[in-house]
Amino acid sequence: MKIIMIFIQIVFIHLFLLLGAGVKALIPIPIPASMIGLLLLFLALCLKLVKLEWVEQGGNWLIAELLLFFVPSAVGIVNYDEMLSWQGFSTVLIIGISTFIVMSTTAWIADKIMIRKERDTQ
Amino acid sequence: MSIIFFIFVTSLLYMVAKAGYKRMPWPIFHPLLLSPILIIGLISLMHVSADQYLDRAKFLTHMLGPATVAFAIPIYKHLPVLKKYIGTIVTSITVGTLMAIFSSFLLSMLMHLNNQFLVSVLPRSITTPIAIEVSKDIGGIPTLTTVFVILTGIIGGIIGPAVIKRFAIKSTIAKGLALGMSAHGVGTNKAMEYGEQAATFSTLAMIFAASITVLWGKFLIPVLVSFIG
Repeated sequence: MKIIMIFIQIVFIHLFLLLGAGVKALIPIPIPASMIGLLLLFLALCLKLVKLEWVEQGGNWLIAELLLFFVPSAVGIVNYDEMLSWQGFSTVLIIGISTFIVMSTTAWIADKIMIRKERDTQ
Repeated sequence: MSIIFFIFVTSLLYMVAKAGYKRMPWPIFHPLLLSPILIIGLISLMHVSADQYLDRAKFLTHMLGPATVAFAIPIYKHLPVLKKYIGTIVTSITVGTLMAIFSSFLLSMLMHLNNQFLVSVLPRSITTPIAIEVSKDIGGIPTLTTVFVILTGIIGGIIGPAVIKRFAIKSTIAKGLALGMSAHGVGTNKAMEYGEQAATFSTLAMIFAASITVLWGKFLIPVLVSFIG
């Protein structure tokens, strides 16, 4: 029963993706259709046009199994021999260093803002 | 027939990898490393090319669309905290996305990455479905970007706890924002270890990072790309 519910909800969420694509076809907005769909579903929830129970189970399943949907694309890497060369090694190194920089600066700035916020409220 | 077969096998190997990773959380067992490796092994035994496989399993890739739409649900559920901390989120994530793009760009120039790789690595710090769109937009290769996004997530998940410790990050909100910004979904997964609040902020960081990077993809990245010709 739960599986059927999840399936129906996913079909319903999919409608918002189609709506997003429709909006994009009508007005040339420079953002991805899935992002427009996200905004539309968000608005529909805020305006109570869609109840949370209608989408929650299906949505949670999609988010929980998000990694599965990446697997085929990851297999596509075999088409790029460069990944096994110096080029690929450099890329992994760049990603490692850059991820470290992004994480530490974001954490540092957010921590500073939060400490200041706490001090101001005291 | 083979469409159903490949979707089934992909889901099965993914579930096996996921269960294995739960027991032995070593980076090499990460479902996004292990299951593609197993599938590559399988299709080469079956003499199926990667392109044939991709075509047959494209239904799974297509599901990234509704999965992105579904992120409206956590935003809606966390609306009160979002309103309260919108300034903190926007400020730290704007800086985070700029750091991601500029550090990737400068390091790639420094290490003489070829143009294909360089452009494809720029949107690597955001969730895959949106990274693919940005990649197409700026002239990158979506497959390469996907792999770089996955590597970003795995590396971010590994170094996350050490960075948080090293920089003595106290606020749970900051921990969540940093993990979501730097390692998207994988980071959010990690953030759960710091509690519900960290996971919430990680989710919000991920969504904001994707949205802001879409804008950079329109206005900032083309300027950078024009430098490399």
